[in-house]
Amino acid sequence: MSEKGEVDLTGAKQNTGVWLVKVPKYLSQQWAKASGRGEVGKLRIGKNQGKAEVEFTLNEDLTMIDGLGDKPSGVQAPRDHPFTMQTVGGQTLAVFTETQSESSKDRISLEGLVVQRAECRPAASENYMKLKRLQIEELSKPVRLSQQLEKAVTTNYKPVANHSYNLEYDRKKKDEGKRARADKQQVLDMLFSAFEKHQYYNIKDLVDVTKQPVSYLKEILRDIGIYNVKGTHKNTWELKPEYRHYQGGEEEKETDD
Amino acid sequence: MASLGGSSSSSTEYIVRVPKNTSKKYSIMAFNSGDKVNCSSWTQARMERDMSNRRMYGVEETEEGAAGSEFGKKQREEARRKKFGIVTREFKVEDQPWILKVNGKAGKRFKGTKKGGVTENASYYIFTQCPDGAFEAFPVNGWYNFVPQAKHRTLTAEEAEEEWGRRNKVVNHFSIMLQRRLREQERGPDDDDEEGEKGGKKKKKKGGRGGDLRIHDLEDDLELSSDESDSSGGEDGDSKPKKKGGDVKGKGKKKKKKRGSDSEANEDSDDGDFEGLEVDYMSDESSSEEEAGEEKAKSNKEAVPKGIDEASESEEESEEEKQNEEEGKEEEEEEEGKKTPVQTKKKRDSSGESDTSEDSDIDGEAASALFMVKRTPPKRGGGRGSGGSSRTGSRPGTPSIDSASTSNTLRAAASKLEQGKRHVVGGSSESPAAKRLKMESSSMAVTTQSPAPSGKSTPQPPSGKSTPSSSDVQLTEEAVRRYLIRKPMTTKDLLKKFQTKRTGLSSEQTVNVLAQILKRLNPERKNVNDKMHFYLTE
Repeated sequence: MSEKGEVDLTGAKQNTGVWLVKVPKYLSQQWAKASGRGEVGKLRIGKNQGKAEVEFTLNEDLTMIDGLGDKPSGVQAPRDHPFTMQTVGGQTLAVFTETQSESSKDRISLEGLVVQRAECRPAASENYMKLKRLQIEELSKPVRLSQQLEKAVTTNYKPVANHSYNLEYDRKKKDEGKRARADKQQVLDMLFSAFEKHQYYNIKDLVDVTKQPVSYLKEILRDIGIYNVKGTHKNTWELKPEYRHYQGGEEEKETDD
Repeated sequence: MASLGGSSSSSTEYIVRVPKNTSKKYSIMAFNSGDKVNCSSWTQARMERDMSNRRMYGVEETEEGAAGSEFGKKQREEARRKKFGIVTREFKVEDQPWILKVNGKAGKRFKGTKKGGVTENASYYIFTQCPDGAFEAFPVNGWYNFVPQAKHRTLTAEEAEEEWGRRNKVVNHFSIMLQRRLREQERGPDDDDEEGEKGGKKKKKKGGRGGDLRIHDLEDDLELSSDESDSSGGEDGDSKPKKKGGDVKGKGKKKKKKRGSDSEANEDSDDGDFEGLEVDYMSDESSSEEEAGEEKAKSNKEAVPKGIDEASESEEESEEEKQNEEEGKEEEEEEEGKKTPVQTKKKRDSSGESDTSEDSDIDGEAASALFMVKRTPPKRGGGRGSGGSSRTGSRPGTPSIDSASTSNTLRAAASKLEQGKRHVVGGSSESPAAKRLKMESSSMAVTTQSPAPSGKSTPQPPSGKSTPSSSDVQLTEEAVRRYLIRKPMTTKDLLKKFQTKRTGLSSEQTVNVLAQILKRLNPERKNVNDKMHFYLTE
């Protein structure tokens, strides 16, 4: 497993410098709509009297904002976004990537270090204000809505018993019939195989498994098993120790009649 | 890339691309700048998810199948959880922290925890410059704050609490971790390798601390000449290095076992320590005798500080005891229910115990409320013998002086005590002295309520009757006859009539005398209310 977990340190060695830019949500949404090679805009870096100025201009075709339900809302995203440059002061930021290829080999590689932090701000414009208003409207809508009904609701009534369910139940019972006492040996076989799977059983579960009447089953259980009153497995039956044979692998235990 | 010229500005344009369909997921690895992490110095690094929290979210699997399992347990557990509304959060691998190991086993370790809320309101993008000059922006998937993990040993919470309590005493802080390490060594040889390794590391790092004989780091700090003292000081947890000389090795081992706490200063008793202590009042005479000797010793030692008065008392025993007597007498004589002053005084009396006992003796005669128990002569003699000799020596002259002044009741009582003691010691002069005392006491009986003389030590003088006291009531046959004619009385009533204070007799004497009188009178008996009443008909 030396592959997994190995960090590719090429980026760190080369001291690749990257920028960490905080981008508003709407802008990242627009970028997601980019087509082709993914061109989203232009970044202009200038030096104005010694100060670096960075500005991002959004591509024209990406300015259409989608309202609710992916329909055009008529609001346009602002195009100009100056960057606010900040220093990477109290933290050393490194960038690493996880590559998940189809062969499920996760490769982690260090891409580089952050040399500059920036915030992408929209230039205050009419468009931006409209956009913001739209956003606020959307957010301020309540999640729950009260609606007035014209007619009273008549479609729910409470049945005493579920009719279909009832019929089904009756049918099932008729099919099963009363539980008949099967041969004792057979019952014992069933019990042993059940106890092979699990150590503790509730009496009801055993009745289900063996399909025997309760009293008969209890008699048999009293022979071969013990009833746990206290402890974690309360009110459960388990086999007597001499009949038990629990190991890593299951083995059939011979019963003595 | 168009470059625009400006008057004093120049700018270059770059195309920004946001690549799609990348299989790479970008994340930020944040280090605190104080940790001085230099990524380029890493030769090798390994990073993987920390899966230690898996069992918290996933169900702890009990043994499946066969032994220990129940039929339908899973369903039942789930139903139960639903019923109680317990919602267990899923274990998401992407949210688990990272463990980063740099430069192999000997290098640093970091734990990176995911920072929440990064992608909620704004997205972070990583802008990298491509070879063609364009920028590529990748969205950041997650932000992880990486903190270095301590490799050195740290104290657990309990140990930290302990050490906090000792912080004012422990000067040598290096030994704290040392002790802990040594303790672990003792506990498990399995840990030894790790410990030893670490210990070894420490050795190398810090010049050999810990263990039996090592050159101690504090050598420079403490400016000690000998290495042995250093190591012992280190082991001890006390920076008293000079006290140990040779054979540190053997001692050192033992001391380690002791944890060095024993040799540290024990806390002096603070002021408030003795506040709740309760001291018995020596009201029970039978016990006070045995305690007499003890108390003397105690008062000598000043084992329990009892306030300024008592402290000053115990300093100068003999004199104080004298005062005790007097004051004790005062209480007894007053016989009022002034509990508090009495009690405080009693406390004081306890330091001069023997005196109190004797005071109680006399009180017993008076049958006061405060002291009830009567003493038998031999017992008292013993008690007195222990204390009397010392005191009689100290104050030979006082009784005579006291007897002279009748106004001072206390003095009289004190003098009586002295006399009483002298009786025990002397023995021969008992009767006349006793008589003398009785004379004195009888003379004072008018003005004071002094208890009867300590004639108890002497055999009951038949002169109990013959010494006429100028009291109002005399225990005579005539008086008894008068009472019994008037109305039937029980013996108790009769006794009440002839109160010892007024007849000047001890209660025993009274009883005896009364018995004799009754024998002579031979009154008739009648049972009224289940009590035997005597009466006479004239």
